[in-house]
Amino acid sequence: MSNQAATLAPLRKDWDGGVSPFGVSYGKLFMWFFLVSDALTFSSLLCAYGFMRHKFTGEWAHPNEVFHHFPFLEGKNLPLAYVGFMTFDLIMSSVTMVLAVEAGHRMAKKEVAIWLFFTIIGGLIFVGSQCWEWYHFITGPEIEGAYQGVFRDYIMNGKHIVNPHFTGANLIVNSYTRLPTFGDFFFCITGFHGFHVFSGVVINIVMFIMVVNGVMEKRGHYEMIEKAGLYWHFVDLVWVFVFTFFYLL
Amino acid sequence: MSNFFEEYEGYPNYEKMAIHDEAHGKETRKKLWMVFWVMLIVTLIELAIGAFADMGEINKEYTFIFFTLVKAFFIVWVFMHLGNEKQALKYVIIVPYTLFIFYLAFMAITEGTYSSVVRKIAQAVLLHQ
Repeated sequence: MSNQAATLAPLRKDWDGGVSPFGVSYGKLFMWFFLVSDALTFSSLLCAYGFMRHKFTGEWAHPNEVFHHFPFLEGKNLPLAYVGFMTFDLIMSSVTMVLAVEAGHRMAKKEVAIWLFFTIIGGLIFVGSQCWEWYHFITGPEIEGAYQGVFRDYIMNGKHIVNPHFTGANLIVNSYTRLPTFGDFFFCITGFHGFHVFSGVVINIVMFIMVVNGVMEKRGHYEMIEKAGLYWHFVDLVWVFVFTFFYLL
Repeated sequence: MSNFFEEYEGYPNYEKMAIHDEAHGKETRKKLWMVFWVMLIVTLIELAIGAFADMGEINKEYTFIFFTLVKAFFIVWVFMHLGNEKQALKYVIIVPYTLFIFYLAFMAITEGTYSSVVRKIAQAVLLHQ
């Protein structure tokens, strides 16, 4: 029986069993499947956004007029410059990640650690930038002497009070457009993506510690870096779409 | 940590298959940096079009979507190494997703446009009364 198996082994085809028909390890294959399902989640969010955008043509806020701030250059009108910087940062960190993966294929422990470190820094810059952008989106354009209220309409002592100086945005109302959906989609899509970036940074930090401690070297391969890299590139991929559909169109 | 599949005789060690030497690594790195420059230039063009170009809304939209798909292709094919995988894996990742997304985008845009029209008609009717 065992003799027969030994002679048959070289003749095994992809789908005959005993080998992976996709030519990848179990972990990597299921990382891909997870990413496809996650991509479907983001696609449905962006398609819902597209639906609203087409339903309210002409009433939607112009991203050029909403996102024109840049840190340390307050008061200047630089449409989309900061989002452009964020895109550049994420693409850059994607490159450092793929270089870490490539170094892993050469079993170069030190190089993997260095590139992973740069990737973590890039991710942290991105998360920080998003915090900054949320802050400016929520507080809104700064109007001299105006009180920046949290709500435009609110109830106090049983009375309905309208705050005429409301600027910025929350889930109920925003000062960029009449439609609350604009703010809702902004918080939902960029928030969901930002959470992915945050978890990607956490995964990368775990990978960094494992590499430095020599866990991968002991294992004999750096495939874990490749899987973490797949996730990180996916985050970059989603941002490319969010950047186009939310900020450019 | 032992691999469950290692118990089977003759099961290939896929984890170690991607390991390569320095010469191959140099070639790969060159390719990666070239892709980076392409993507950077595409992003800069997109920003320039978004800020300055005057080419009509519809043309702009199609240009942006085209550039986005170019960038997405490079990320998936080169950075995520899908281009180096087996044909079966390529199909299993790309085909179901593409089918679904074309359907979803078509439905979202058609229904969105339709409800926009319905909304405008309803508003006109209400004003008429």
